[in-house]
Amino acid sequence: MINMIPEIGHILLIMSTVFALLSAASHLIGSYQRNLYLIAFGNRLFYALFFTLLTALCSLVFSFIADDFSVAYVANHSNSQLALGYKVAAVWGSHEGSMLFWVFAIALWGAVINWRQATHSAKLDLENLQADKAYFGRVLAILALVILGFNLFLLFTSNPFARLLPNIPVEGRDLNPILQDIGLILHPPMLFLGYVGLTVCFAAALASLIGGKLPARHLDYLRPWVLLAWIFLTGGNAFGSWWAYNELGWGGWWFWDPVENASFIPWLVATALVHSLVLTRKTQGFTLTTLFLCLLAFSLSLLGSFLVRSGIVQSVHAFAADPTRGMSILSLLVIFVGAALLIFALKANLLRREIDFDLLSKETLLLLGIVILVVAAFSVLLGTFYPLIYELLNLGTLSVGAPYFNAIFVPLTFLVVLLMGIAPLVEWQNTSKAQAVPILLLGFGVLAIGFWVSLQAASGSNLFLLLGTAAALWLIVCLLLTLLVSLGVRKRTSANQITAKVPVKSRTSKQRFIGMMLAHLGVAITIIGASAVSNFEEEALLRMGPGQGKPLAGYILVYESTENVETNSFTAIQANISIRDGANDEVILGYVRPQRQTFKSNAMEMSHAGIDHGFWRDIYVSMGLQLSDTEYLIRISYKPLATWIWLGALFMMLGGAIAAWPIRQARRVEESEQLSTSSSSAREAVTQ
Amino acid sequence: MNPLFRSPYLCLLFWLLSLALCFGGATFLATAQEGPNMGASYQQQAIAISKELRCPMATNQTLFESQAPIAHELKGQIFSLLEQGLKRDEVIDFMVQRYGEKIRYQPEFKTSTFALWIGPLLLLILGVGLCLVLISRNKKSTY
Repeated sequence: MINMIPEIGHILLIMSTVFALLSAASHLIGSYQRNLYLIAFGNRLFYALFFTLLTALCSLVFSFIADDFSVAYVANHSNSQLALGYKVAAVWGSHEGSMLFWVFAIALWGAVINWRQATHSAKLDLENLQADKAYFGRVLAILALVILGFNLFLLFTSNPFARLLPNIPVEGRDLNPILQDIGLILHPPMLFLGYVGLTVCFAAALASLIGGKLPARHLDYLRPWVLLAWIFLTGGNAFGSWWAYNELGWGGWWFWDPVENASFIPWLVATALVHSLVLTRKTQGFTLTTLFLCLLAFSLSLLGSFLVRSGIVQSVHAFAADPTRGMSILSLLVIFVGAALLIFALKANLLRREIDFDLLSKETLLLLGIVILVVAAFSVLLGTFYPLIYELLNLGTLSVGAPYFNAIFVPLTFLVVLLMGIAPLVEWQNTSKAQAVPILLLGFGVLAIGFWVSLQAASGSNLFLLLGTAAALWLIVCLLLTLLVSLGVRKRTSANQITAKVPVKSRTSKQRFIGMMLAHLGVAITIIGASAVSNFEEEALLRMGPGQGKPLAGYILVYESTENVETNSFTAIQANISIRDGANDEVILGYVRPQRQTFKSNAMEMSHAGIDHGFWRDIYVSMGLQLSDTEYLIRISYKPLATWIWLGALFMMLGGAIAAWPIRQARRVEESEQLSTSSSSAREAVTQ
Repeated sequence: MNPLFRSPYLCLLFWLLSLALCFGGATFLATAQEGPNMGASYQQQAIAISKELRCPMATNQTLFESQAPIAHELKGQIFSLLEQGLKRDEVIDFMVQRYGEKIRYQPEFKTSTFALWIGPLLLLILGVGLCLVLISRNKKSTY
């Protein structure tokens, strides 16, 4: 019976491919002919697609749990000794399974959209209802087409259900030791959900383009999808970096590794997209910018997976290299992106809108911010692909590493942060000049303080530190100012309310404001953390054995003992090092326990860092080679404000979640707000 | 009032200037750091150099981070080369000659890497410039 499960999974995967084809066809034809029966049929087919993929994924999970080593993927990535949680996580631990998980996640998200569409369009009149049904039909059709493409890719080049028959291995090779961590359980699914969110945005953008219409309510549908994609991508990137910091034992937290870039580039574009959507919702303009960013974000995420899965780059993350896979993903990329760009070129004219605003306005600043984010994304892309192109052109080999990316990225971030600070303070359409002067003065003040701080740095005057400090200060000061201004406005309006009946800010706009403030604060926190770690880190590389101590940054680290540790999957040599107060070495503040692990299944060696986390500083110790009978090469780092980097990411995610959180009753308020905005803006014009 | 925000051209100039400042500063920093660091001891210099070179064995790690045996050997070699009186650039050149351009983590500025270094700046100026020109033209047409 157990041996049949993979075959059932395989058949289900084939069935889901057929369902994807049928669902896409009936949705497309249905929405083209405005045939609601056909669209409803397509919706049912999409559910069938979802359930077949769900069961296919479940059967793979089952094979992992049941240790069915006749399945090649299981035999290569699991082991009967592996803990149950890791067996399940191993499903997305490598190429084939992660592709299946990705496809399943697209189907899941599509099914949720399918299920929710009735609530979206409950209060519409008949004509709009039909239009919405056709719109959702197109969204689902495109999702089904994407699934179709990925499914064919899975079936023909990387089938997770491929068997090793008749010579079934007795025991599986182990899951890659690096991946045996809580990080593996959480980091890839988050990233995949982010990519899937971008896929949904891509589908929605194409659906709008094909329909040639983009009413405000479709933007409302798009908004949570964009925000969710952004939240998941933020989480995926931050979690990956946290995992690298804790597990890989290199001491860094961002390496500008090609695969990190592959997920970071879509994040940058998704960030631009979030802001572009704000622009479009507020001004009814910039529709093409928003739609194009949707297409771009998805294309770049696909390009990223091409980079990761084709094995053309050297990276710690690179999946097993296989040129046919690379070619297949490349052709998928060409088909999807080519079709999308063609539709964009054909239909863009229908969605063009003229709007009017001043050079000094929120519109300009947001637009510039979006442009710089996209430029940053393309710069990172350029740096990632340059060595490949360089080699292709027979110019020799080259590596583009962190120094290059920092030199390009830090100034661009600084510019974005400048805009981030001002934009919330500036009015839509135009701003009075009197408002601009204090902001400018403030800016110079902040720059001066930043300069002063950077002079205090041990390494002398450092431009990166200057930029980081100035950016963080500027952002925080501007956020405070924004808060004050908004409180002032609210006070004024509520005072006037009795006489003038000016509406107070609605609940949704308040919610979005809080979300924006938190996310921007998160950026400031991350910048502070990153600047502090890269400029004020103190480290020592030394030979240490039991009884030896080393003072560092106001602490004394004492090597207490060496210990042998054994777990299910590895044996390790562990150094027990106590952290003591620098002033009084009797006071023990904590212990760090770095390890050198040797995995039983494949004898692979890994160094696991010992970290004492704190709000103000991390103490990071990693254990190197054995130098004598008792002594090891020990690397100690004092990393001020290191946790702030990820704290900031948490703030960003929280801000995004607050902004995306649906409030049903708030929608009514918003509707009434929309009705009253025309009258209130007229009143404002009169009072000015 | 502040004339800076009255004229779109002055505003454009302001942004372009601050841009130029940032990038000029960045390049200044890149060159300034390359100057000989007289005060530092050999060990500090060797660590600094090992942070700029890529380990030939371990993927995407600097020599400093890498735990591979070859990385330890090379770190030792950098130190002994410095002791022999070689300058920082000479040490790096020595390594490049032996292991190829790939060992340099920060690619050199030369004709074949021109696009790499200038690309982002060009993109930025193009993007931002285009935006501002379009916005101000859009504004003019509505007058």
